[in-house]
Amino acid sequence: MFKNFKHEKIETNVGLLLVLTMLAVSAGGLVEIAPLFFIKDTMEKVDGVRPYTPLEQRGRDIYLREGCYTCHSQMIRPFRDEQLRYGHYSLAAESRYDHPFQWGSKRTGPDLARVGGKYSNEWHVQHLIKPTSVVPESVMPNYPWLQETKLDISDVGDRMRALRVTGVPYSANEEEYQRNVKQFGEAVARTLHIPDARKNLVAQAQDGNFDGDRASVSEMDALVAYLQVLGTMVDFSKIKPEELVKFR
Amino acid sequence: MDWFAHPENTKPLGLLIFFITFCLIVLWVYGNGKRGQKLEEHKNIPFLDDDDEMKDKSNG
Amino acid sequence: MSATSVAAAGQYDYDIIKKFSVMAIVWAVVGMFAGVYIASELAWPFLNFDSPYLSFGRFRPVHTGAVIFGFGGSALFATSYYVVQRTCQTRLFAPGLATFTFWGWQAVIVLAALSYVTGYTQGREYAEMEWPIDLLILFVWLAYMAVFIGTLMQRKQPHIYVANWFYLSFILVTALLHVFNNLAVPVDLFSLKSYSLFSGAQDAMTQWWYGHNAVGFFLTSAFLGMMYYFVPKHAGRPVYSYRLSIVHFWALSFMYMWVGTHHLHWTALPDWASTLGATFSIMLLLPSWGGMINGIMTLSGAWDKLRTDPIMRFMIVALSFYGMSTFEGPLMSLKDVNALSHYTDWTVGHVHSGALGWVAMIAFGSLYHMIPRLWNTQMYSVRLINAHFWLATIGVLLYITAMWISGISQGLMWRAFDDFGNLQYSFVESVAAMHPFYAMRAIGGMFFLTGMLLMAYNVTMTIRQGVRAAEATGAPAAAAA
Repeated sequence: MFKNFKHEKIETNVGLLLVLTMLAVSAGGLVEIAPLFFIKDTMEKVDGVRPYTPLEQRGRDIYLREGCYTCHSQMIRPFRDEQLRYGHYSLAAESRYDHPFQWGSKRTGPDLARVGGKYSNEWHVQHLIKPTSVVPESVMPNYPWLQETKLDISDVGDRMRALRVTGVPYSANEEEYQRNVKQFGEAVARTLHIPDARKNLVAQAQDGNFDGDRASVSEMDALVAYLQVLGTMVDFSKIKPEELVKFR
Repeated sequence: MDWFAHPENTKPLGLLIFFITFCLIVLWVYGNGKRGQKLEEHKNIPFLDDDDEMKDKSNG
Repeated sequence: MSATSVAAAGQYDYDIIKKFSVMAIVWAVVGMFAGVYIASELAWPFLNFDSPYLSFGRFRPVHTGAVIFGFGGSALFATSYYVVQRTCQTRLFAPGLATFTFWGWQAVIVLAALSYVTGYTQGREYAEMEWPIDLLILFVWLAYMAVFIGTLMQRKQPHIYVANWFYLSFILVTALLHVFNNLAVPVDLFSLKSYSLFSGAQDAMTQWWYGHNAVGFFLTSAFLGMMYYFVPKHAGRPVYSYRLSIVHFWALSFMYMWVGTHHLHWTALPDWASTLGATFSIMLLLPSWGGMINGIMTLSGAWDKLRTDPIMRFMIVALSFYGMSTFEGPLMSLKDVNALSHYTDWTVGHVHSGALGWVAMIAFGSLYHMIPRLWNTQMYSVRLINAHFWLATIGVLLYITAMWISGISQGLMWRAFDDFGNLQYSFVESVAAMHPFYAMRAIGGMFFLTGMLLMAYNVTMTIRQGVRAAEATGAPAAAAA
């Protein structure tokens, strides 16, 4: 009884079905994603945005490891309430060195895009060890192990090299270093130099004294250093509001 | 022709192409009564797979 | 057509399907338990026990991984191998490869869960697996694709039944999404850690293109494949309109891929991309509802089955939840609604009305239909299926009601101003206000989990009964997996 159906090419031919399905499903992705990689205003350059220092990047690694993104966003939307609560809305440029992005999808806790500088280092340490000690109603887990665990800095150079492959301008040689001096200034460029990664990391941890213990570099040092830099790179007092439009 | 060279025009273009394709599919499926009849017969395929003995075993 | 003289157990390759069916149930229990646990952590934070391995942030991907890839994935492998053989009236192509997909896939789920609790993650939702696991997934998936397409090619039935179209698009798209979303640079060949190739807005776009299409193809298209076989088969009547199912397929395949950007409204993503996402999300309502009507109308003229048959009830309630979530989804993709709903529990509720109401229920119905046929027996207890149905339904309803209330109140509290134009509530006041609803959600989850445990018991007894009967008659083909 099926002999007369044989000419129904589309639904009797696996290959054709494959090709057509592929075509139908690729369209959306191509049209929406591809332009983002070509249109330059997806990621307008904004003064002040720089790659993370080795210590901050290690802190970011811990932020990922503990799954902070499952409860905290890093993307302030352009609404009046969010501006009052969190600060200026986020610019695309501010996450241009974020591999991966951590915009998040859920605010069980508050947005962290501009948490940098809002609280003292001591507050962060106490809060991370036992959140309810500073915010009694908090449902955040305690993270006592951060303070107790020494930060593993053995592969920080490798990590920066991997990030360099993805396009983050960490410098591996003199030429790249000079380019960074030109783009970010000497003080920043020095922190982005891969051969000095470990030295820079330890120095920043000791200068910043993030966890209140200068003797050793803990995971707490790194995480607090990261939290304290979030959202502080761009100086919004120096950008005219009408210029901001093009950054969104 | 320049219009096609701009990446931001890919979305209306893509939209147009696929909307037309979609309309063609709908027309193809519903346009011809005889073809429709044939297509509908395929819906019996799930019932051609079994030995009869299995059917009594299905307990709801 | 079919070789009616051969017994069904010998006619098709059932061993691999049995393995996957059992693991689907095991992962459902594990994953739903993890879900109840993390839900309880939010209601009663002491449950984190100051342990890195149990803390919410690390445990949450264990839940999502076990339910989506463990339970959902295993159920899809099982049903797709079952459906493709029976609608093509042929045996599986390359059974060795199929066995590899089983062990490979189980290894993926276990390794992923272990890596999350020990702190290895890509930090991208639903794609947290680090690069070595991603590579394993890729190999498993290519093997799966080979088995499925190979089986289609050696079919004895000229026409490829529509359920297979849905399965095929799911397999194709999952491969595509997986590869592009997991492009990353490892720190070192011997390091588990890697960094995403993309950054910022491009990374966000890629991730949500993946994220939403994982919902669209893994959790929708594939389960529609399940629906298009098991609903008609179980009802004993053909699908309402085959032509509608063709239109449903093409419209869904084409449109789903556009809607991912609705996860990024009001963010630093270019406006046109998220507007386009919203437009397509609205349009998607039509094919979704077309499919739902097609499934439900299959029962027209046999509505009495709903009264007597709890398996049919699972399927029809699943379709109703499919309709409900595909209405809620487009609503939430509207920019004004999204301004309120985004970042809140409403999103979590929406996901679960789809995942528990639609995905899990249609999978339960299909497994209840399939398992007695695999072991050539009857379900051990229909009353337990019925109890499972009610526990599951009450569980979902409790869950989504709690999340609606908490989500909408969060959204409203965050944007509330007092008479002087200041924010009315501090953030933590909204956290404190959520406590009763978080507790209610955890209880809803417990209902659902209890139902799942009943199913596990019922299926275990069914399999034992089938194996015993087979031993008694000495039929070797029906031996347990």
